[in-house]
Amino acid sequence: MFLDVTLNLLQNFLITLKLFGLTLLFSLPLGLIISFGSMSKFLPLKYIVKVFVWIIRGTPLMLQLIVFYFGPGLVVSMFEAEGVNNGFVDLMRTLNMADPLVTAVIAFVINYACYFSEIYRGGIESIQIGQYEAGYVLGMTKTQIFFKVVLLQVVKRIVPPMSNEIITLVKDTSLARTITVYEIIWAAQDYVRNDGLLWPLFYTGVFYLAFSGILTLLFGFVEKKLNFYRG
Amino acid sequence: MAILEVKNLYKCFGKTEVLKGINFSLEKGEVLAIIGSSGGGKTTLLRCLNFLETADKGKISVDGKVIFDGDEHKKISDEEIRKNRLHFGLVFQQFNLFPQYTALKNVTLAPNLLKVDTPENIDASARKLLDRVGLSDKVDNYPCELSGGQQQRVAIARALALNPDILCFDEPTSALDPELTGEVLRVIKDLKNHNSTMLIVTHEMEFAKKVADKVIFMADGIIEEMGTPSEVFDNPKSDKTKAFLNKSFEVF
Ligand SMILES: Nc1ncnc2c1ncn2[C@@H]1O[C@H](COP(=O)(O)OP(=O)(O)OP(=O)(O)O)[C@@H](O)[C@H]1O
Ligand SMILES: [Mg+2]
Repeated sequence: MFLDVTLNLLQNFLITLKLFGLTLLFSLPLGLIISFGSMSKFLPLKYIVKVFVWIIRGTPLMLQLIVFYFGPGLVVSMFEAEGVNNGFVDLMRTLNMADPLVTAVIAFVINYACYFSEIYRGGIESIQIGQYEAGYVLGMTKTQIFFKVVLLQVVKRIVPPMSNEIITLVKDTSLARTITVYEIIWAAQDYVRNDGLLWPLFYTGVFYLAFSGILTLLFGFVEKKLNFYRG
Repeated sequence: MAILEVKNLYKCFGKTEVLKGINFSLEKGEVLAIIGSSGGGKTTLLRCLNFLETADKGKISVDGKVIFDGDEHKKISDEEIRKNRLHFGLVFQQFNLFPQYTALKNVTLAPNLLKVDTPENIDASARKLLDRVGLSDKVDNYPCELSGGQQQRVAIARALALNPDILCFDEPTSALDPELTGEVLRVIKDLKNHNSTMLIVTHEMEFAKKVADKVIFMADGIIEEMGTPSEVFDNPKSDKTKAFLNKSFEVF
């Protein structure tokens, strides 16, 4: 029995990991793009991005999941009632048909990209202007300065807040069940419902702990690697 | 012909006029010391020469070639600004070394990115430069492992690595403990003996007196007095210069 439960939970933890991995894969670069937007000298862009980040960070992720899950269907039926049919309606239709896991990934990516963008922004803005000026005076281009001078310093500064956020993501994945993504906690609840077993539910904690433990070690390692210099 | 010629340079920040018509020239191999009270516009002048600020009016020529002309209203491309910058080197008050690179890599980074030579040659000449500033045993140390004086000497080597025509210093010893200023000033003096053309903003009056060929006293955005060290220090003509020098020397 124990082995059965373990294997079953492990299998469903893989869905959790899939959601986790895909979210990171897309939100890390998207966050960087958003952070550039929020630091843009073109003010309309800057303020649009800032308002967007405010909305995403200012509402619960659970609510955003629900909006992404039910929203497209509502939009489609609204437009269909009006007899409108265009590319946008088609897009909404596709979203409506999408696998709940895909919908969850989209909502998670947007949510986490906004959080990451603020961490990136903090890191980039913490670099002294003198570093850029030293690069300019040495004839480097802006791109060279960003990649060769600034980037590693930013990475070093953002590793601690990023690791925090990423470990939060591991646990936030469980929210996806609100939009019918079957994952580890749901699987455990089925044991309660179908077999009257409570312990598998507690047992899920072990999987989360193990995974976040691995991540903690990994980030500790990265931090140590980056400690070859101070400042 | 003068290697550097600055004509009628103006710069304001909003409503404050910081440079109000700066004129001077510098011959190859000459050392120019710029002294003056705080807020006089010395840093701004150096930053205009290095294109960290864009002057509003005036002309800057290097070796007879106009590299900045405030009357020409076409925008200079980034590419061109970068090329013009390479006539100048700038050593900052706060060193501004790249913390994640060793002393050697700090010196070789820009030459490698600009591909001025093969990596091997760049490496070899960087080691020579670090040796010249007395840091041959610190090539593999990171900036955080060096004293302020050592960091500033790395910064000087870094600026020299691109062979600038004119090397600018903005108060190179102001961020240093008094016992460390000597080692940096010795390096600058040694550069003079190697015929480097230099423009040094400094509060070290004794040093300026000994090393400079020409001294400029700047106050409120204009050149109040210009001449040889003995002219400016021993026989100042302007009252402002006299007052400034009296204040500077009465500390001792
Ligand atoms: N980016 C800026 N924006 C607005 N004002 C500035 C800026 N940079 C300099 N200033 C002003 O220009 C004036 C000249 O400053 P500058 O730094 O060139 O003086 P300085 O001669 O180098 O003084 P110090 O000896 O204290 O270094 C000061 O009044 C300063 O407040
Ligand atoms: Mg200054």
